Amino acid sequence: MPQAQSVAAADAVLIAAWQGGDEQAAAELVRRHARALARFLAAAGAPEADLDDLVQETFIRAFRAVGRFRGQCQFRTWLLTIGGNVLKDAARRFQQVRVVPLDDDLRSRDGDPHETAVAGEAEGRLREGLERLPHMQREVFLLRAQQGLEYEEIAAALGTSPGAARVHYHHAVKRLKESLQ
Amino acid sequence: MNMDEELQDARLRELARLLGSGAAERLDVERTAQAVVTRLRERPRVTLTGWVWMQPAWLKIAAAIVLLLGAGVVTRVLVRERIPSALVAPLGEDLTDLTSDQLRETVGALEQPFADESPGALDAGLESLNTIELRALLRTLES
Repeated sequence: MPQAQSVAAADAVLIAAWQGGDEQAAAELVRRHARALARFLAAAGAPEADLDDLVQETFIRAFRAVGRFRGQCQFRTWLLTIGGNVLKDAARRFQQVRVVPLDDDLRSRDGDPHETAVAGEAEGRLREGLERLPHMQREVFLLRAQQGLEYEEIAAALGTSPGAARVHYHHAVKRLKESLQ
Repeated sequence: MNMDEELQDARLRELARLLGSGAAERLDVERTAQAVVTRLRERPRVTLTGWVWMQPAWLKIAAAIVLLLGAGVVTRVLVRERIPSALVAPLGEDLTDLTSDQLRETVGALEQPFADESPGALDAGLESLNTIELRALLRTLES
């Protein structure tokens, strides 16, 4: 928790600097959070070819709207929810999000080829399951399971209650388990 | 929660953590940071007015106001059209200035809306009335 507080404090300083016109502060915020955002977007169904554009668009929207960020959650969490909306808009534009090749993440892994293939298959099913989830369930699941956030933090970012976030998560888990079986 | 379920949950979380990590690792963060800064410089900030008017709630309120104003204008036009033009001027002025023909025209215009109130006089036909009787009829209708 202290680490999260120091991250939040550092982000707050950079946000204030950006609001004061410091472009390098904006660049530093991108450096700090771009990879986590990219991981979140890729898991939510963003095609790798569009990942850079989606990350950029998310940061642009976030920097334009930063005046509305009141520190109700961490900057990164807020950024991820904006990313979710950017991806949703993009998916609407392109009719549907293209599926990322399933073995992309697996090629870099070492180990037994059979295990790798099994893991790849499970990952593929998880991706498909995630794509079928309602937007809210998918976001809550990824924020919790992938980013390791608490329900309170997720609820603050998504404008819902921790109880509702918990329910979304459990619905998502139930459906994803079904897709994995 | 039994052990199978716990294992499944742990596996699910592990898979979720791995999801997208390869693509994220391949992202050139420095290039992205510079691109964002360049785009921020190129595209000026949206003004407060622009932002306010882009909000769906404001758009709905604006649309409702336009609809109300439009409905008001249309109603007003329709009401005005239904009042005979001959009625407007004479009733506001002195009837002594009117000729017999003007009085007949005016009473004729009144015939429709007030037919139920003075059926006797109007049913009899205006042609048979002289100037004095027409004036008396108009005064009755006026009051």
